[in-house]
Amino acid sequence: MILAVLFANSEGNILVERFNGVPAEERLHWRSFLVKLGAENLKGVKNEELLVASHKTKSGVNDVCYNQKALLNCMKHLHLALAQNCYDFRSFIGLHQNLPTRSVYIVYTVLGDVSVYVVGKDEYDELALAEVIFVITSAVKDVCGKLPTERLFLDKYGRICLTLDEIIWTGYLESTDKDRIRRLVRLKPPTEF
Amino acid sequence: MADSSGTTLMDLITADPAPVPAAASSSSSSSASSMTAAASPSATHPQHVSTKTTLGEKKSKRAALMQIQNDTISVAKAALNPVRTNIISHQKQKQKQKKPVSYAQLARSIHELAATSDQKSSQKQLVHHVFPKLAVYNSVDPSLAPSLLMLDQQCEDRMVLRYVYYYLARILADTGSQGLNPGGGIPTPNWDALADIDAVGGVTRADVVPRIVNQLTTEATNTDVEFHARRLQALKALTYSPSSNIEILSKLYEIVFGILDKVGDVPQKRKKGIFGAKGGDKESIIRSNLQYGALSALRRLPLDPGNPSFLHHAVQGISFPDPVAVRHSLEIISDLAIRDPYAVAMALGKLVAPGGALLDVLHLHDVLARVSLARLCHTISTARSLDERPDIKSQFNSVLYQLLLDPSERVCFEAILCILGKHDNTEKTEERAAGWYRLTREILKLPEAPSNSKDKSQKTRRPQPLIKLVMRRLESSFRSFSRPVLHAAARIVQEMGRSRAAAHALGLQDLDEGAYGNQYDAVDSLDSDMNDSSHPEGIRRTTGVSNAAGGKDTIAGMLASLMEVVRTTVACECVYVRAMVIKGLIWMQSPHESFDELKSIIASELSDPAWPATLLNDVLLTLHARFKATPDMAVTLLELARIFATKVPGKIDADVLQLLWKTCLVGAGPDGKHTALEAVTIVLDLPPPQPESMSGFTSVDRVSASDPKSALALQRLVQAAVWFLGENANYAASEYAWESATPPGTALMMLDADKMVAAASSRNPTLAGALTRLQRCAFSGSWEVRIIAAQALTTVAIRSGEPFRLQIYEFLHALAQGGVQSQLSEMHLSNGEDQGASGTGLGVLITPMIKVLDEMYTAQDDLSKEIRNHDNANKEWKDEELKKLYETHERLLDLVSLFCYVPRAKYLPLGPISAKLIDIYRTRHNISASTGLSDPAVSTGISDLVYESKPAAAESDTLDDDLVNVWAANLGDVPAVNRVNEFLAGAGTDAPDVDENIISRPSVSYDDMWAKTLLESTEMEEDDVRSSGSSSPESTGSVETSISSHFGGMNYPSLFSSRPTTYGGASQPSERSGGSRVNNPSMYEGYGSSIREEPPPYTSPERYDSFENPLAGHGSHSFQSQDDDRVSSGNPQFGTALYDFTAGGDDELSLTTGEEVEIEYEVDGWFYVKKKRPGRDGKMAGLVPVLYVSQSSGST
Repeated sequence: MILAVLFANSEGNILVERFNGVPAEERLHWRSFLVKLGAENLKGVKNEELLVASHKTKSGVNDVCYNQKALLNCMKHLHLALAQNCYDFRSFIGLHQNLPTRSVYIVYTVLGDVSVYVVGKDEYDELALAEVIFVITSAVKDVCGKLPTERLFLDKYGRICLTLDEIIWTGYLESTDKDRIRRLVRLKPPTEF
Repeated sequence: MADSSGTTLMDLITADPAPVPAAASSSSSSSASSMTAAASPSATHPQHVSTKTTLGEKKSKRAALMQIQNDTISVAKAALNPVRTNIISHQKQKQKQKKPVSYAQLARSIHELAATSDQKSSQKQLVHHVFPKLAVYNSVDPSLAPSLLMLDQQCEDRMVLRYVYYYLARILADTGSQGLNPGGGIPTPNWDALADIDAVGGVTRADVVPRIVNQLTTEATNTDVEFHARRLQALKALTYSPSSNIEILSKLYEIVFGILDKVGDVPQKRKKGIFGAKGGDKESIIRSNLQYGALSALRRLPLDPGNPSFLHHAVQGISFPDPVAVRHSLEIISDLAIRDPYAVAMALGKLVAPGGALLDVLHLHDVLARVSLARLCHTISTARSLDERPDIKSQFNSVLYQLLLDPSERVCFEAILCILGKHDNTEKTEERAAGWYRLTREILKLPEAPSNSKDKSQKTRRPQPLIKLVMRRLESSFRSFSRPVLHAAARIVQEMGRSRAAAHALGLQDLDEGAYGNQYDAVDSLDSDMNDSSHPEGIRRTTGVSNAAGGKDTIAGMLASLMEVVRTTVACECVYVRAMVIKGLIWMQSPHESFDELKSIIASELSDPAWPATLLNDVLLTLHARFKATPDMAVTLLELARIFATKVPGKIDADVLQLLWKTCLVGAGPDGKHTALEAVTIVLDLPPPQPESMSGFTSVDRVSASDPKSALALQRLVQAAVWFLGENANYAASEYAWESATPPGTALMMLDADKMVAAASSRNPTLAGALTRLQRCAFSGSWEVRIIAAQALTTVAIRSGEPFRLQIYEFLHALAQGGVQSQLSEMHLSNGEDQGASGTGLGVLITPMIKVLDEMYTAQDDLSKEIRNHDNANKEWKDEELKKLYETHERLLDLVSLFCYVPRAKYLPLGPISAKLIDIYRTRHNISASTGLSDPAVSTGISDLVYESKPAAAESDTLDDDLVNVWAANLGDVPAVNRVNEFLAGAGTDAPDVDENIISRPSVSYDDMWAKTLLESTEMEEDDVRSSGSSSPESTGSVETSISSHFGGMNYPSLFSSRPTTYGGASQPSERSGGSRVNNPSMYEGYGSSIREEPPPYTSPERYDSFENPLAGHGSHSFQSQDDDRVSSGNPQFGTALYDFTAGGDDELSLTTGEEVEIEYEVDGWFYVKKKRPGRDGKMAGLVPVLYVSQSSGST
């Protein structure tokens, strides 16, 4: 699942964001996390040089309580957590139930004036995300005709949204071919005859 | 953030000199800043200038500059196209060009333009202006849908239509306030809610969705050739609808299957080369497009594992010419294969045979398709249900191995992971071990199929051992400059280590490097036979492989050279890559090798301030996981953990560290426990942080905590270590009072301190060592550390047998002495400020602890005296005597439970000799040993956890149980934790109240704690349990003791004289102690009296009562519910609550109307009252306004 695609300008303002399967309350976290990541690491990075980060998420209570027994177990741990004056229940329970940690990968880069972030999990690990971000950057360059400045990017805003829509479709990578994406954005069939 | 970004976005977009000059001119003229406007002759909209200026104030300077620049350009453009400008300005859409463009304006313009959608200009307007700007918003409101649908039907322009599909999909996907819609951007309101108040025309999603779905469905089923691009988009838009809508789903299935039924069959086998190129015949291209669209939609639909036609269509997709379609079909199939490998394998049938479509995928350009292929092959080749079909399995297996040669790292790594046995994070150790076995043993033989002649992998024709391929691949990946590649490669190494550790854990070492890596692990060849028989069945052997692999490189050699490369990767700039490398190193670290290198790498890494805390904790958790895989490494890993503790105390989470300590301790086994404990507590022996003079030089044994924050964190860490030591010393030393054979009597012989210490250390060096450390901390640590050390010592004392208990008792006395003196002299004068001034300052805290021990010793003495009496007189024990004994036992248990967790069923506060008598009484009265109902742990249900796992504690191998047990063991100390916290918060610093506060609070705060949780109902039950428990015969004992204690505490001395038979008579309180009781106005002074003679005479029976138990608050819960008549002897005042009252402060008490209370005293318009049962908030007593209570007469 590609959890998020995010474009930000050089000041860290978000230009485009697309989330898939990320609860609303976590979006804020991701936004600030990614922008901070970019602010710290993207200085002096060459265009399209890929940077990587990863983030472990312990499954939270929601993931733990999949049946009654698990729920009961979870409650016991909740007792323990309370008893230990530990108020971060989710991580506490995750810590003590030996839950599998779920890795989330982040690949990001700079493209002209904008920075691009892609977040994925499961099959979209750092290398798959590198593919995704490559598709995205080349499509954006294609739309803009060159490396986008912030202005150019906003000029092409609608077209870029459509392009993204063709590249990532409900959290999965869809089209990867530049020409094909261009055709689809123009409402032409994916393969021309 | 969203807001600020929104402003910028809107600013920039609305200031947009759109590519069409027409739009540009009108927008630019209106957005002109006052300066340009004034200068420009073509600025014709002064009213917009003013709007602009107000908006401009908010703008960043940069935006303003850009604006000026753009304006200049567009003004120039406008000058070049004056005619256009005029035309546009006469048209009506001029109005909606106003700045700033609000959502409402955009929406309105869509409605307007939809009506005139046949005009070119409207279309342009839509495509270039309205739709792009609308995309900025988070969601689209449903009232737009009719216009969009109108556009959909009437408009011809492809771009307009494309946008229409885009927005229709967003309306379908929009789940409203849950915020699950994929689009970000400027937040929009919950449209449905708005519609309810008729703000947006009263159109809700529920109104429009059926219409949209209908329209899209019609389009998706339109078979017109010219229409098929739109058909695909309509289908795509439909898939955005939430999967909870069954109706739409079934419609979608119908459409997709319909399409696939028509176009799915591709009987003619095509070569990809021909298809990839353009210029196929029109019909087949359309067919392939439709196939693509249908499979893409199918991919977004929920899996339908039992459905044969679902599977059939998915399998068909593998042969489709469209690469994306093939990818989707492989993804679907590999997901299905996890559920039902047999059916999938059967359905795939010939496709996997040489020349089949699956093999074509190997050369497909699409990376993710090949990744899915790897997963699919792995799932099928390891499926249990296919054990009878080794031919199928080996076919898939060989495809999987061929994927190792894939040019893309992503695919190759996926194949490695599959071979290693990792698919998600839930695989079992056996699978991982089998994976390592596969990797190290198997050989890649390329099929001899002639069709593969132009295959790029054919350079290496001869069979190759997998491990060699993998190593070579990884080494070259580590030389890459791309960070994602490095990160992924390090991750693969980590997974390799994981599988290797699993193989080791299952005793497969002989299959490892040892088999033909003679420099390593040569010993194991002897064991190979034995191990062979013990292989889990999950490991399938390939015959004769190990002989065939006889290359000159040993696996150990290859691993070593790989690890060399891995280590150099630590130099990478990116911390995430480095973290992954370190994790890989940790996993690849073998228990037999020296870990100095790893240690120094970690130590030097940690001195880099760039590491974020989360990443460090993550590495710590890796240590934890590593330990679980190889418990032998406990000490090594603790050493590593110590580096974290000392280097970056400010960044690591004490919880995580403690967890690691605990797991290591529990898992270290009987031999390792001592070392493990030592390794943990070495934190205590570290020299204090030095001033920052040795920057640049990194030493492992130095604490680097130069800034106040990390110094504080270090302090906390030391506290945690002390705490940990106290909690776990007994476990580590395997010394438990209830398992100790030494009768307490012998301990009393050794009153000489030196002898005692000597005896202790000779009996159990681990415990003795821990005690020494704790004692040192109690003397010389910081204030907080000393407090915790004292608590830890008490815990150890309670849990240990003799002579340790005695030793600690002595020590605590020594510690308390100074403090007690000052306390006594200033008892009524102290304002709490000088508590720390004399002695160790711990007297106040230690006193109750000493009392518990006092009480236990006294009771033991009583008991031995009684026994002697009975023996001398040759009397049988009477039931009454036994009952008394049992009461004492229970009371002491309650008391002890306040300080730390002890297993109630086993713990004998009266010493081992009491075991028999207690047992007699229990059998006689049918009391189950494990149900101490007044034990908070029992009544709150936590004890389930404890008792469940308790039997497994001592010798169980299962880590988790032990872990739980250790945690549970901690649990008992919760009140103590709270106590410390409250103490630190200043609650206990008023000398005269201290004892009562300290002792009675735990139970209160415990109740508080429960009341605050979501477990309100449980809490109520718990109260019920308590009171009902007290009315049942088995707990009458504790009830009565608590009566006495209650009255002792609450100053009702008359009670004793009124009840000589049950209590006073039996224990024969001396006049003196009775007197002191009567004379002393408060319980506290009762304590004081017991302290004043030092050292305590262990044999004085009168102390038995003079120290009344601190359970006062606790036990009295049960008491009053049934003993009202006795209360009357104390002549109290009663009252009834007239109204509900909610406590406004800590000292106030909440009341419910009609509740009966006992009035203690009045102060300033407030009654101090006590309830008969604790209320919802768990409080028993407190202040209530006088007017809220109607006083009744004191008699009942």
